[in-house]
Amino acid sequence: MPEIRVTPLGAGQDVGRSCILVSIGGKNVMLDCGMHMGFNDDRRFPDFSYITRNGRLTDFLDCVIISHFHLDHCGALPYFSEMVGYDGPIYMTHPTQAICPILLEDYRKIAVDKKGEANFFTSQMIKDCMKKVVAVHLHQTVQVDDELEIKAYYAGHVLGAAMFQIKVGSESVVYTGDYNMTPDRHLGAAWIDKCRPNLLITESTYATTIRDSKRCRERDFLKKVHEAVERGGKVLIPVFALGRAQELCILLETFWERMNLKAPIYFSTGLTEKANHYYKLFITWTNQKIRKTFVQRNMFEFKHIKAFDRAFADNPGPMVVFATPGMLHAGQSLQIFRKWAGNEKNMVIMPGYCVQGTVGHKILSGQRKLEMEGRQVLEVKMQVEYMSFSAHADAKGIMQLVGQAEPESVLLVHGEAKKMEFLKQKIEQEFRVSCYMPANGETVTLPTSPSIPVGISLGLLKREMAQGLLPDAKKPRLLHGTLIMKDSNFRLVSSEQALKELGLAEHQLRFTCRVHLHDPRKEQETAVRVYSHLKSVLKEHCVQHLPDGSVTVESILIQAAAHSEDPGTKVLLVSWTYQDEELGSHLTSLLKKGLPQAAS
Amino acid sequence: MDPECSQLLPALCSVLADPRQPVADDTCLEKLLDWFKTITEAGSSLLLLQENPCLLGLLCHVLKPQDLSPRVLAFSLRLAGMLAAQEDCFQYLQGELLPRLFGEAGPLGGAAWTAPSVRSGWIQGLRSLARHPSALCFLADCGAVDTIFSLQGDSSLFVASAAGQLLVHILGLSLQGAAEGHPGLQTGDWPVCAQKIVSHIEESLRSAATPQITQALNVLTTTFGHCHNPWTQVLWVRLSPLVACLLEKDPVPAAHSLVDLLLSVARSSVLSSSSCGLWETLAQTLSHLSPTQAGPLALGILKLQECPQALRAQAFAVLLQPLTCVLEATAQAPGLLDSLDGTGGASVTVDTLLPSKAACVGLLCRTLAHLELLQPLPQRPSPWPQAPLLGATVTILRLCSGLATPTSDAGGHLCAFLVGCVRVQRAALDFLGTLSQGTGPRELVTRVFAVLLEYLTSPDSSPTVLKKAFQATFRWLQSSPETPGCSDLDPHAQLFLRELLPVLPKRLCSPCWEVRDSGLEFLTQMIGHWGGQAGFRRALLASEVPELTEQLLRDPESYVRASAVAAMGQLSSQGLRVTPASPEHPGGRQKSLLAELLRILSTDSEGFPRRAVMHVFTQWLRDGHADVAGDTERFVARVLQVASQDLDWEVRAQGLELALVFLEQTLGRPSSHCPYAVTPPVAAPPSPLAQALRPLCRVQLFEFAFRALFDCDRPVAQKSCDLLLFLRAQTASYSGPQGSGSVPEVASVEAALQRWQAGDQGQPLGYLEPEVVVAVLRSMDLEGLRGVLAESSDRVEKSPQSLLQDMLATVGALGEDEADCY
Repeated sequence: MPEIRVTPLGAGQDVGRSCILVSIGGKNVMLDCGMHMGFNDDRRFPDFSYITRNGRLTDFLDCVIISHFHLDHCGALPYFSEMVGYDGPIYMTHPTQAICPILLEDYRKIAVDKKGEANFFTSQMIKDCMKKVVAVHLHQTVQVDDELEIKAYYAGHVLGAAMFQIKVGSESVVYTGDYNMTPDRHLGAAWIDKCRPNLLITESTYATTIRDSKRCRERDFLKKVHEAVERGGKVLIPVFALGRAQELCILLETFWERMNLKAPIYFSTGLTEKANHYYKLFITWTNQKIRKTFVQRNMFEFKHIKAFDRAFADNPGPMVVFATPGMLHAGQSLQIFRKWAGNEKNMVIMPGYCVQGTVGHKILSGQRKLEMEGRQVLEVKMQVEYMSFSAHADAKGIMQLVGQAEPESVLLVHGEAKKMEFLKQKIEQEFRVSCYMPANGETVTLPTSPSIPVGISLGLLKREMAQGLLPDAKKPRLLHGTLIMKDSNFRLVSSEQALKELGLAEHQLRFTCRVHLHDPRKEQETAVRVYSHLKSVLKEHCVQHLPDGSVTVESILIQAAAHSEDPGTKVLLVSWTYQDEELGSHLTSLLKKGLPQAAS
Repeated sequence: MDPECSQLLPALCSVLADPRQPVADDTCLEKLLDWFKTITEAGSSLLLLQENPCLLGLLCHVLKPQDLSPRVLAFSLRLAGMLAAQEDCFQYLQGELLPRLFGEAGPLGGAAWTAPSVRSGWIQGLRSLARHPSALCFLADCGAVDTIFSLQGDSSLFVASAAGQLLVHILGLSLQGAAEGHPGLQTGDWPVCAQKIVSHIEESLRSAATPQITQALNVLTTTFGHCHNPWTQVLWVRLSPLVACLLEKDPVPAAHSLVDLLLSVARSSVLSSSSCGLWETLAQTLSHLSPTQAGPLALGILKLQECPQALRAQAFAVLLQPLTCVLEATAQAPGLLDSLDGTGGASVTVDTLLPSKAACVGLLCRTLAHLELLQPLPQRPSPWPQAPLLGATVTILRLCSGLATPTSDAGGHLCAFLVGCVRVQRAALDFLGTLSQGTGPRELVTRVFAVLLEYLTSPDSSPTVLKKAFQATFRWLQSSPETPGCSDLDPHAQLFLRELLPVLPKRLCSPCWEVRDSGLEFLTQMIGHWGGQAGFRRALLASEVPELTEQLLRDPESYVRASAVAAMGQLSSQGLRVTPASPEHPGGRQKSLLAELLRILSTDSEGFPRRAVMHVFTQWLRDGHADVAGDTERFVARVLQVASQDLDWEVRAQGLELALVFLEQTLGRPSSHCPYAVTPPVAAPPSPLAQALRPLCRVQLFEFAFRALFDCDRPVAQKSCDLLLFLRAQTASYSGPQGSGSVPEVASVEAALQRWQAGDQGQPLGYLEPEVVVAVLRSMDLEGLRGVLAESSDRVEKSPQSLLQDMLATVGALGEDEADCY
């Protein structure tokens, strides 16, 4: 029995590091290869030993697919390909291929910077890994090999994020990666066609949340920044190099323009250029509005946002600074934070999630006295705000996507167990499909119906066509033929051809039935009465009375005989062929009603 | 445990015990266990419990029926196991707590058991606990072993695997004392626990269900892999007939695990010497398994240090079979491998060995990979069939590229399977590269170069295939014999080079950045190796390659720009950049490469090209490159000035590397053992030290180094600290004039340094007199700074105290923001 097997090595009932193994039609695919930022030892990577024990990785895995450039989806990739030893193809979209190495490089630099880590992938490894990538376009069907094909769909979330359909024969799985079902200022909404996969693997970060209006969140954000700047304070927004930062930049840029604000906005040097470059290059991946206005004005060429220089942090007066990294765990953002933390006029806005062990996590949990090196204490007097701008589908969005794709079953990943449980029930109730939520290491096995291709003979098709009806996908019709299996192939052919090909002789199969009639006359007379009755009733058919006394209606033969025990009863033997089955049944029921009296 | 943590622990334990309080971050409990592990490994667990009664309180609390988070329950099980690893602490906990945690009455029977994390925690707890004989009695009494048996088939891979490993551990532990001194002790006399496990394994091996057989084989594989005590031999003697019975089944169940087990046994020092019928079983297995399954076994056998020759021959024949098939199908030197084929001419046809495309591709890839692993090993079969292997690999590559014209049906099938198959191309090119380590007949080497050239030229070659073709080409060129006397490439390779160099420009102009980059990497390797050889130089200079490489300095892809910088650096170092003046600009001077590289260093938006420039500059300075030697001080001053402004800390760190080279050249080489030990300069100039320091002052090396010392990126500061320590050591003997006028200058420098340390980048120092530098260096606590820098920059945030604070602070702070992500 064919089956689809799914085993999350990461993202099974958690949001740590996505890595899901799918086995479909004898092919093995790894969906995402993420890293957990909360660990600084080997636990940050998925435990690949569960695949390496199946022999060589490159032989076992047919391909790796990366949904988008966030590190919890691609951070382990150089480790997997250059250190663990996977040497097969890696698929991702063009923007992901371009942006992935920047984020990997940033992370590597921070990891090495902080601790002088030796056992970490190098720049060369990132490059070598990226050279193994095969970039795909949206909606392009890519043949991984003769049997396995993949296709990318737009996922919103971040530039280049994609959902992937994986198909082997008639079996298919859709993996959503992270997605957003509502458009934002620079990206569109996720979309997929009614592809009816056997299984939809969907993220479920906001499985129980119906997110408040984005407008409200944006208004709140702008109000807070504006108030801080108005009172002469400095605003720090720690971000990751590329991703949601660009959404916030557009938001502030528009607001600054509208309000005619003069306070400078800075972005870590190099990153604005980089973002600009990539958004220009992949403009087709942004939303409709940005694409339309691109010719007159590139939304990413900001008028108010300038490159930041380290010395600017000491400048007097208000300012807004976007600085990396996003969790305040090293580099420029942490440096600026230390400078500004002591002033209550200032503000730090955390636009995303922070793992334990970072300054970002500390201040978000309300800690205001931070121990620094040498037992120094940094008192955080600045205002601390958390405003999640991460772009995931909420519960409504997830349900919408399930409705769009119409899968046979759903599997939830990338979320918390409790929230998943709730969504699972909702999906099962509403869509009447099975929903699974395996923990990491647990395997879900789904049996699938075997699909056997059948060839049809040209002769048979031509004969159908000759009846004058053109094929119409919306109006299925019956087609009679003989299914033959030869050389491990199934073919539908006409029965004549089947007999010929198989060297068989035709046999006639006749159905027979006995009808008892109360008639004391002789058999010949009964036969005449039957003939007369049928002749009058079945005017459209050819009814004959043969010299041997039997009656025929088309291929149906009727013979009258005497009853062995009751001389007042005659037995009518009725027989007909398969082709005249309908007429035969009709005729039998007619005779069972008896013969009309008038004829007697 | 430090007092701060002790103070925080009770509050944390009550938070963990409260089911209403969610645990903020799924990594926190893991990190907490890491911390407890460090504590228990360093000291007494009993003392830890006595000093922190809250821990015992937590462990008791989790046993109460309540809606506790599975994560906290799993944590408690693991913690309890960790504490009970010490026998005195085990006795302390054994009375009631441990049986209730790990026995039938514990989570085992409850609803929480459905969570894989709890089952995993239970196993890990027992794994930690099982360290002493008392633990074994406990395991037997509480019926844990039976539960572990059932967990071997758990729905979670992690749990199932941990259960198998735990069984191995218990088996080892129970036999540690019992059988150690009595190698002759038969399994019937083994401790009850061990007997139970062995019986279970026997039962599983007799089972008809493949998963059970797999579990048993995996347990045995780990046992023989990890434990080399004499009792393992007794175990093998008892179980080997059952293992051999598996071979009688068709198909052989759990073949992959069976291969792993047999190899594990064969590698075991205790077992292979006495054999115990092992070699016969191995030979039998080789002949029973399918070619795909037998490949790893054959490779494993050939990797063994000691093994009967007949078995090795059989294994090698199995490994070579697919390639024999390819050679025969393509009617090339039929029977070429006959001499090595231990199957005695039992020819296997393409139809049976490589029946479908998937099977053919899979088997060939595996075979090529296995042979690639085998080739460099000293114990590889001898004689090594270099020529047939080369022939087969070249044939496969030709079949893949559609170059081969098959003359038989079998060849036609192969051709249809392999044409355009990137997987096989990659595997074959990797193996071909490895084969360059050996020699081959001239005619075959010609064919190797021809097929490589074909791949490098073909428009159908994918970027990954091209990269491998470049790598294989370089390896083959490297292995070409040098012409005696002139250390140049042999005429054969030279001929190839003449054909290759016109191909390279096409690849350097490829629309794929991956291809351009691989081309440049190949070029850099080639110049590094043959840049000094006349034949190569002539061919390169006659081609468009140098010009195109220079153009790639402005490639849109930063990786390519970086590779172009490296290649240009090499070209220039080897004097290969000089091209005749172009007809448009007769006699016109080409733009200086130094200026171009400086432009990249100061303006390129990406770090890779800037880092590559720094690498080239450092190399140039080290080698005394002509562009640098003319005015070294000016060069160093300019580079340091630009590097100091760079946002990429790796560029700044490389600036320090360059500064160190300059320093060495000016003052002498540092001692390799201790960079800041007092040693007399090895190649110090004869002039007084102040004189020697003056060039360093002129290039503002000290300002660069002092700024770097307080860099926010730790590796830069570390490197600068090492450099300054070296410098101070060099100037230790200096007792030059310290005029009264210099004192205020020293104070002002020290004040500036303090401001820098506080994060204020402020004003530059300007020109410093050598005396001032020496005085400042002497007054600085560089050793202290070095100690601080040696530690992780986020060690405070990662400390246990910080972890406890974070976990406590999260209580109540979590709301809608709970478990968000990027």
